Amino acid sequence: MILGEWRAHPARVITAALAIAVGVALGFAVHLINGSALDAFGQAVRAVNGAADLQVRAATPAGMDEALYPEVALHPGVADASPVVQLKATAAGADLTLLGLDILRAGQVTPALVGQPMGGPGSAFDLGALFLSRAALDAVHQRVGATVAVTAAGRTFPLRIAGVLPGVEAGRRIGVIDIAAAQWRFGRIGRIDRIDLKLAEGADAAAVRRTLATALPPAATLADADSDAQQGAALSRAYRVNLDMLALVALLTGGFLVYSAQSLSVTRRLRSFALLRTLGLPRAGIVVQVAIEGLVVGLVGTALGLAIGYALASVALTRFGGDLGAGYFGGVAPALAFAPGAALLFAGLGLAAALAGSIIPARAAARAAPAVALRNAGDVVDPRTPVAWRVPLALVGAGVVAALLPAIGGLPLFGYAAMALVLAGGVAAMPWAARLLLAPFDAHATGRPAFDLAIRHLRGAPGQAAVALGGIVASTALMIAMAVMVTSFRGAVDDWLGDILSADLYLRVDGSTGGFDPAAQTRLSAVPGVARIAFTRQVPLTLDPGQPATILIARPIDATLPLIGPTSAVPAGTVPVWLSEPASRLMHKSRGDTLALPIGRNTRFAVAGIWRDYARQQGAIAIDTATYSRLTGDTPRDEGAVTLKPGADPARVRRALMTAAPPALSGQVEVASPATLRAFALTLFDRSFAITYVLEAVAVLVGLAGVATTVSAQTIARIREFGMLRHIGAGRRQIVTMLGAEGALLGGVGGVAGIALGLGLSQILIHVVNPQSFNWTMTTRVPVPLIAGVAASLIVAAAATAMLAGRRAVAVDAVRAVREDW
Amino acid sequence: MRRLWTLLALLLLAAAAPVADFPVVRPGVPLAFPADHGAHPAYRTEWWYATGWLRTADGRNLGFQVTFFRSRLPVDPRNPSAFNPSQIVFAHAGLSDPATGRLLHDQRSARAGFGLAQAATGDAAVAIRDWTFRRTSAGRFETRIPAKDFTLALSLTPTQPPFAQGEAGYSRKGPNPADASRYYSVPHLKVAGTVLRGGRTVRVTGEAWLDREWSSSYLDPRAAGWDWTGLNLDDGSALMAFRIRAKSGGTLWAGGSLRRPDGRIVRFAPGDVALTPLRRWRSPGTGAVYPVEQLLAVRLPEGIRRYRLTPLFDAQELDARSGGLPVYWEGAVRTQGGRGYLELTGYVAPLAI
Amino acid sequence: MPPRLLLTGLAKSVPGGRTLFQGLDLTVGPGELVAIMGESGVGKSTLLNIIAGLDKPDTGTVAVEGAALSEMDEAAATNLRRDRIGFVFQAFHILPYLTLRQNVALPLALGRTAARAATARADAMLELVGLPTRGADYARDLSGGELQRVAIARALVHDPALILADEPTGNLDPETADRILALFADAVRSRGAAAVIVTHSLVAAAVADRTLRLTATGLVPHDG
Repeated sequence: MILGEWRAHPARVITAALAIAVGVALGFAVHLINGSALDAFGQAVRAVNGAADLQVRAATPAGMDEALYPEVALHPGVADASPVVQLKATAAGADLTLLGLDILRAGQVTPALVGQPMGGPGSAFDLGALFLSRAALDAVHQRVGATVAVTAAGRTFPLRIAGVLPGVEAGRRIGVIDIAAAQWRFGRIGRIDRIDLKLAEGADAAAVRRTLATALPPAATLADADSDAQQGAALSRAYRVNLDMLALVALLTGGFLVYSAQSLSVTRRLRSFALLRTLGLPRAGIVVQVAIEGLVVGLVGTALGLAIGYALASVALTRFGGDLGAGYFGGVAPALAFAPGAALLFAGLGLAAALAGSIIPARAAARAAPAVALRNAGDVVDPRTPVAWRVPLALVGAGVVAALLPAIGGLPLFGYAAMALVLAGGVAAMPWAARLLLAPFDAHATGRPAFDLAIRHLRGAPGQAAVALGGIVASTALMIAMAVMVTSFRGAVDDWLGDILSADLYLRVDGSTGGFDPAAQTRLSAVPGVARIAFTRQVPLTLDPGQPATILIARPIDATLPLIGPTSAVPAGTVPVWLSEPASRLMHKSRGDTLALPIGRNTRFAVAGIWRDYARQQGAIAIDTATYSRLTGDTPRDEGAVTLKPGADPARVRRALMTAAPPALSGQVEVASPATLRAFALTLFDRSFAITYVLEAVAVLVGLAGVATTVSAQTIARIREFGMLRHIGAGRRQIVTMLGAEGALLGGVGGVAGIALGLGLSQILIHVVNPQSFNWTMTTRVPVPLIAGVAASLIVAAAATAMLAGRRAVAVDAVRAVREDW
Repeated sequence: MRRLWTLLALLLLAAAAPVADFPVVRPGVPLAFPADHGAHPAYRTEWWYATGWLRTADGRNLGFQVTFFRSRLPVDPRNPSAFNPSQIVFAHAGLSDPATGRLLHDQRSARAGFGLAQAATGDAAVAIRDWTFRRTSAGRFETRIPAKDFTLALSLTPTQPPFAQGEAGYSRKGPNPADASRYYSVPHLKVAGTVLRGGRTVRVTGEAWLDREWSSSYLDPRAAGWDWTGLNLDDGSALMAFRIRAKSGGTLWAGGSLRRPDGRIVRFAPGDVALTPLRRWRSPGTGAVYPVEQLLAVRLPEGIRRYRLTPLFDAQELDARSGGLPVYWEGAVRTQGGRGYLELTGYVAPLAI
Repeated sequence: MPPRLLLTGLAKSVPGGRTLFQGLDLTVGPGELVAIMGESGVGKSTLLNIIAGLDKPDTGTVAVEGAALSEMDEAAATNLRRDRIGFVFQAFHILPYLTLRQNVALPLALGRTAARAATARADAMLELVGLPTRGADYARDLSGGELQRVAIARALVHDPALILADEPTGNLDPETADRILALFADAVRSRGAAAVIVTHSLVAAAVADRTLRLTATGLVPHDG
């Protein structure tokens, strides 16, 4: 019986299996890609950290006082401590992480970072010796024994490549020199950036962490492999959750498709089931039979989905990188790692969707009284059945409540639950919505029998319509929700870019060069044609080692800071800072609150205002540039916003600025126009959402495929009705027109309901999910052309499929159609 | 003389660095105490080397070794960094227990500074973190070594004045007069203290030998290694003898001296010392074959005296390669009428570092 | 006045080449009920389809009220069916999503009769078949006999010249079948329509004015 059913309708079975496959594939691929990226990120972090038990890290790039080293080294429970100077460096045009180590300490604490001398004289204590990881050696295109000029912190110094770092993982660019050389040559006398710790055997790690944490000054934080992994995960978590959600949407749609395919198949077989039941098959037998069918469909779809997902992940990794182009894991090229756990999870979800999609209609069929089903032609339609509205209303209500709940652990779990509930409610409300939306048509018969019949069919059999509408509404709603969110986001970013890029030219120098010192700043400001240059510096502050660093921005506090709300006075004795919106949310600080920052000595800071920032998800803190210099003594600046004198030629000023830059920075200075920066930023934005667009398109295609199969299946199921109509004088064309009208109405109703639901869901995305996962807010912008396009294509697609199926249905001998067929 | 291998170990370190001004040891300079117990940081290398026999309260014998080395690196003196590695301190510790037939050992190294590692001048006070060796105001040497598998806490009390080796502390190492070191020993140190092993602390007493040596010269490039012994003899005399073996076989240089109970010293010329292997032991760990039992013959005015050196047990090899240092055999030995230590180096591929 | 139905020299073979019948003639006048019986597979339903213009004869003509249905194109045949022929099916074919009134009015709606007039006619027809109060009900509420009454009302609602019935009592119990047949016959006769009933039920044949048997050489009087 199963096989017969599938032989008769292979397309339907294949579509259902494919839908499941798409859902499983997307979910699995997103998971694999992110897992691989996190692995790669973790490896990169471990490679630089050399797998120390615990690390004391400077909270700012200014480092910490080296006097902390003996204190930490002699802390109870610490067996050994390895002080490290860590610098971003370039050598022969290649970026690398340059570590200054005491080889004797590193040998005990982080042996992976100890260099192996190769040939020729040279040793770990040779202050001119540089040890490079294999990847770094390849990147500088040099051999062991050669001398290479290394630039870091604005200074360049020739170092002889004395050997390699065999303990560093492949692909990581790391250079190691002696710590004394690093301090001397790169201007870090008295400062270290981290202290790697080896704990004493048998020491209570938690206790050591605790006591050490309290002993550390604010300029230092405590980190370990866990906090690094957290940081990596935190970087992309919200983004990943979004992608996972999209995958689940596809899976859900797949479930709907199985549901509609099985509903139809069950309806058509109602009489065979009834016969089987009168012959003694128990009710559960029918459910089991249909469930097995669903299981087989689910298994095929799931197996296919896992294979496609793996292939998709490997293609995506090579094409887009581990963050799918979102830019979270710069410079890390991940290798694809199979994840059996995730494979099981998504296989389970796929099977569950297929099973649920089968069992629900099977149970309904099993409940039908066999006598009625046998006598009746299989139709159990009763147009007067009141449509359920309480359950949908309750679901939507629960969704609204969930949307009001706060995030859990930085993830908008309730927000997603709200979306799921509202979506489920919306789909469940479809019979009701279909009646509501079709009521205006029904009140006035058009006098065109094809249209009147179409409307009456849809109104009269809302359950059947809802089966067809479920998939379409779910995929449309989610697609519209994502589209509205992305459009709103892009619009907000675009406006914001307009606000912040208000200068005429932008000047930037690579951070590893040390930046423009005050003399260079004066010289640049004096370039003819320049009215003013607002110099800024961005400094990463580690406030919590488990979180990505917050960016401290030293800049003039003026109208170019896009404030949300007013600036308020700060308490006496505190230094005013302005938090970006994400920083404010992450730190739970609002206007007037005081806070501690690892800069200055015993300085208290207070929040003077909040500003809009879409660039730094990890949060940013603006501080007046003069105040920053006074507190830290750090006077160089990396960036400048140039205001031109009226009538000055930007191209000429740009050349003049390049030549006025200090010779040491030649070739490192970039001058860009705001238009270039804006285009660049928007390109980045679009790249980071590229995968979202792809997933959306897939969701819509799956939805349309669902509409097509459901409509054509329902059409074919009604072949006897068409036969009767042909007998009593309905023309073929009339019937095809009727079906076209039904399809268009179905598409229209589904589109309207999906769009309405999608707009509702977009509000959850914009006002709940986005603030809770990315910590920024925006105003809603509706992509009207896109929505109109979606609605139109839904109507056209549904009408076209219905008409195609109708053509096939009326081509069948009308005579045979009215005959009994069982 | 002794442990010149540390010089060799540092040879590699020194070669690429700028030429620095290392003083050369000269004859005719008298030893001055307590200043010479302290470090001589200008010299390339220096050590405080204590070896001895311990007896536990229940009458069992143990051998111990506590060594601190200091090395000066020819770094650029203009580098203001507190990490500038001008002075490096190394330490080794070993505990030989015939009951287990195993040598427990551990090592540390650090660049001097930050109060974490230093070798002080003026009197003996060297330390790496909590490993310490120092001389108290009462003239006693005290050492505390919390090592990986054991902890030594010993006081070493001199019973005799320092024993100047060579010509009043100028000790030749080879045919070239510049190949020499400043060298004195303190034999017959009375030991008291505790040994912590396997969670159990036992009181120990015993007798030890301290070697103090500093120099700026390297080992002769023709040398393969050396055999050295220092013996506390029961009659109160102290005997030190060494030979430097040539790579080509045979002896490149030899020397030593005997201080009689009355303080008179007999100095040995290279021809006055002979060491003859009696029994060899193959290390299962490194494959090196050591002449762990030797016959020492020295020429005294009264005639040739022979000492048969028998190890406390065979497996007293130290494989310090994980710490970047060589493999050698450093073992407690007995002889008729005395006890001491025997050191055998260069038996694995000649002093491979 | 031409006869309601005139069949002349009809012949039909199945695709395999077997001849179902040939030289078939039949004339049915107003108010006349003709029952056609025959073995299964003899071609009763094919004949009915040819009469309805849904199938073409190999030779011969079908004329309804003198109009040559067998010569018409599909659109014209459809219009003729809509306006002049009524159908009763074994499986009733009452659309479940329409009210009974809407079901009955269906031929009128297809013929673009104004909705109000169509509703009035449908209600009248429902009254005629003994279901005067059920116009707003749905198929689900009705028994098989009641459904067939609705089907009869639908077949007659547009005053057709000819009513074709294919096993109208095949799905009914004998008692109900009797009543439905009586109703059917009365309704046809009272309106001066003609009816052709294809059946293998002798009970159904009993209400007919003539009972014929379909054979390979045409229609012969039934001798049962």
